[in-house]
Amino acid sequence: MEKKKLFAGILVFGSLWGFSECIIGSYLRDLGLPAGILMTAIFAIGLLTFSRIRYNQPGMQLGMGLVAGALRLANPFGGCFLCSAFAIMAEGALFELFFYLLSPKIQEKYTKTLQLGMGIIISYSVYVGGYMVTQILTPFVSSAGFYLENLVVFIPQMLASGLLAALIGGITVPAVITISSLELSLKDRNYYPATIGVAVLCWCLVIANTLLILA
Amino acid sequence: MFMGKEKLIPILAILILILGSGTTLYVHAAQNNTKSITVNEKTYTVDQIFFISQTRSFPSLDISGVALDDLLMKAGVTNPDQKTYTIIGADGYQKTVIWENIQNGLLTKDRQVYFSDLPKAFRIKDVITIEVR
Repeated sequence: MEKKKLFAGILVFGSLWGFSECIIGSYLRDLGLPAGILMTAIFAIGLLTFSRIRYNQPGMQLGMGLVAGALRLANPFGGCFLCSAFAIMAEGALFELFFYLLSPKIQEKYTKTLQLGMGIIISYSVYVGGYMVTQILTPFVSSAGFYLENLVVFIPQMLASGLLAALIGGITVPAVITISSLELSLKDRNYYPATIGVAVLCWCLVIANTLLILA
Repeated sequence: MFMGKEKLIPILAILILILGSGTTLYVHAAQNNTKSITVNEKTYTVDQIFFISQTRSFPSLDISGVALDDLLMKAGVTNPDQKTYTIIGADGYQKTVIWENIQNGLLTKDRQVYFSDLPKAFRIKDVITIEVR
């Protein structure tokens, strides 16, 4: 695949992920819903799986995590933006690892059982892993410092919190793999304007939201 | 190789669901439902804490409560800047902070701790203990 095309894909899917975390995530949090779980198991896993199946380029999801995390840092509201940015970047890296380990080498061999199992494992691992990474990195960058015992005693809660993410992931991944197999394509002459346009729109909306809150 | 994954992945998925369910049951069973707060090994009700301690507010967060530094001094902490403070919630969530953070912290009526100088990960709900070490 052309590097330029892959880069544009990373930018647009990473921006869509970051946009959903900043705008939809904040809205879900205001409604008192478990925003972290819903954002990871539906939006993050959905966008990561879709891009992985469509582009089939290892490394792309890591890049998407970096773009989405950067966008989250541009919107320092709606909860702990630093924790969220770390979690998003870690989720991109964890998805990359688990998808590589679990996916069949031949793309057509995604049976329904495999899709369901992958959804549960990847969603759980990505959510719990991202949660753990924030619990380690956030204290490190704060003035309080990191204490291992605080992490250890909270491990059962983190493992328990991933259950809902696993169940939702078991629906998201098969649904996204089904959608990804549909013949949807953009002509080359429309690809770059569309991807760059969507990415720029996401960044503009998030920055405008930041400025509106500041004002 | 592929046949291996076809069998292994559903088993791993089931194990993950068992792990998630088991830890959920454990977390609910281990939940501490006490309404009092132990500060430096002394137990107080929320009303007592609000009676003995000075108030503090964070206007930007629209939150008010009692000043954690004043509460700890009233609870008999000496040489406070040489100690660390572990704040523990009913669900087991805990965070350790230093005196500088305590001076920017407050405890609300609904037993939630906030720090103006720390990320949201340091907000602890349903506080049951503040340990001094």
